[in-house]
Amino acid sequence: MSAAASPAPNAVTAAPRRMPVWWMILPALTLLTGFLLLPYASIVVMSFREASTSAVYGPGLTLGHYTEIVTDSFVWGIVWRTLRTGLIVTVVTLLLGYPVAYHLARSRSRWTSLLYICVISPLLVGLVVRTFAWLIILSNSGLANTALKWAGLIGRPIIFLNSSLGVTIALVHVFLPFVILPLLGNLQAINPEVAMAARSLGASRARTFFKVTLPLSMPGIQAGAILVFVLSISAYVTPAMLGGSQGRTMAVLVVQYLVDNFRWPAGAALAIFMAAITVSIIALYLRLTARAMRRLP
Amino acid sequence: MTMRKTLWDHVFTVIVTLIYIFLMAPILLVVLLSFSGGEFLALPMQGVSLRWFGALFTNSRFYDAAAYSFGLALVSALVNGVIGTLAAIYAVRFAPARFANSLRVLMSAPLMVPEILTAIALLFFFFEIGIGNRWSVAIQIGHILVTFPYVFLNVASALFNFDRSQEEAARSLGADGWLTFRRITLPSIKPGVITGCLFAFVISFDIFNISLLLKSVGSNTLPLELFDYLRFNFDPTAAAVATVSIVISFAAVLIVDRTVGLRSLRF
Repeated sequence: MSAAASPAPNAVTAAPRRMPVWWMILPALTLLTGFLLLPYASIVVMSFREASTSAVYGPGLTLGHYTEIVTDSFVWGIVWRTLRTGLIVTVVTLLLGYPVAYHLARSRSRWTSLLYICVISPLLVGLVVRTFAWLIILSNSGLANTALKWAGLIGRPIIFLNSSLGVTIALVHVFLPFVILPLLGNLQAINPEVAMAARSLGASRARTFFKVTLPLSMPGIQAGAILVFVLSISAYVTPAMLGGSQGRTMAVLVVQYLVDNFRWPAGAALAIFMAAITVSIIALYLRLTARAMRRLP
Repeated sequence: MTMRKTLWDHVFTVIVTLIYIFLMAPILLVVLLSFSGGEFLALPMQGVSLRWFGALFTNSRFYDAAAYSFGLALVSALVNGVIGTLAAIYAVRFAPARFANSLRVLMSAPLMVPEILTAIALLFFFFEIGIGNRWSVAIQIGHILVTFPYVFLNVASALFNFDRSQEEAARSLGADGWLTFRRITLPSIKPGVITGCLFAFVISFDIFNISLLLKSVGSNTLPLELFDYLRFNFDPTAAAVATVSIVISFAAVLIVDRTVGLRSLRF
């Protein structure tokens, strides 16, 4: 491995004929600027257009949609619920994902491949089917309530659906792989001798974990946390199908504006508002964790 | 490392097992229900039967939708297999150092921005340029765009892990650039290309938001068709459809595991 790092002594002394290579990036660059950057700009433009009853948008430009949104307490209520759900999903996913990643990283069993498939299995079931499976499990007379009642844990059914609870459970399930896989890579890269050194110096297992392994896996935790937070507050199908009106999130509201009410300019403004909130929260999070990260070796 | 199993070890094993069960529960339930003999998608099951698979094969709506989804996914995988691989080679090998990082960010951007926002953006954009939802152009480009990073990232990571001294050996033995690329570089990044394309295919097959907003009139993708179907018919045909697609996905994953190894997957 180290041989590749140091330049070979006879490193292509006769410089190869340089082919022009910039064309290689051209198709991808066209795709991403033409169909990602430009369209995102078109959301911004759309959000300043005037509403119209006879066409998709009116002739003039206005700031009105934004002022309407930031003064609407209904919108703020949904913003708050979306962020709270996103936060809970992120924390629970990390708490459940860490033990699995830890277990997989140290697993020497020949069943490890099977466990990998188990971990990515939420991604293998289609989105719609997965959500309907949760509908069957979480309904009032569904699998979860039947089992809990049979075990004598509850008297009356827990209301999972048409609330944030069911949405949270389904989102945790599907985003677990996104936490487990980066963490797994991170944990596998940590030299096991570091933890062994701590143990041999007399640290207890708990102390070794909290003082050595956990801090070393912080980069994996951070990557997973941001990914899950962004994905869960922008998820659409799961809150739309499981959340009902009580579990409605920002993404659901935006689609409602666009598709059901055909209010494109207002919907665009709402989408920009949602993106702005997401970006500022991530920026804040990165700032807050930057200091903790800097202490790492 | 030999250590006595403590109580905590057993507790840990139980917790991890429960989480594995949680991960598998919906998939197992769906497969189980597809063999249901009853009329409804519910537990407890009333008998076991294969009739919903029979119902599936006589349902032309699912057939058409599956064919449409297959086409979209195939085009996405093939197009990205070419342009994603080229872009990854450029980004890792040739990109000027000061652009390299921003180029990588841009290339993985479709994965970082919310899919629903991308769908909205494309909806406005195609409306503004006058194409709208005609000829499946918008939906196909949406699928290519969203699955692009899977090919790019997989090929880029294969290139990172690749030992360049083999190329130098080939060059010093007189092979020209193209020959070296064909005989040395391409074979060693092939697993990355295959994995990336396979992922692009599987993800494209499952995309919902993009398809919901950009579909052309009269043609539904399989997820959209399932969604519509389940709104009005809560019977196990949907579970049968799901089981068939689960079997296909698992077959794909097993092929990757046998040929490339699941551990080489990069997201």
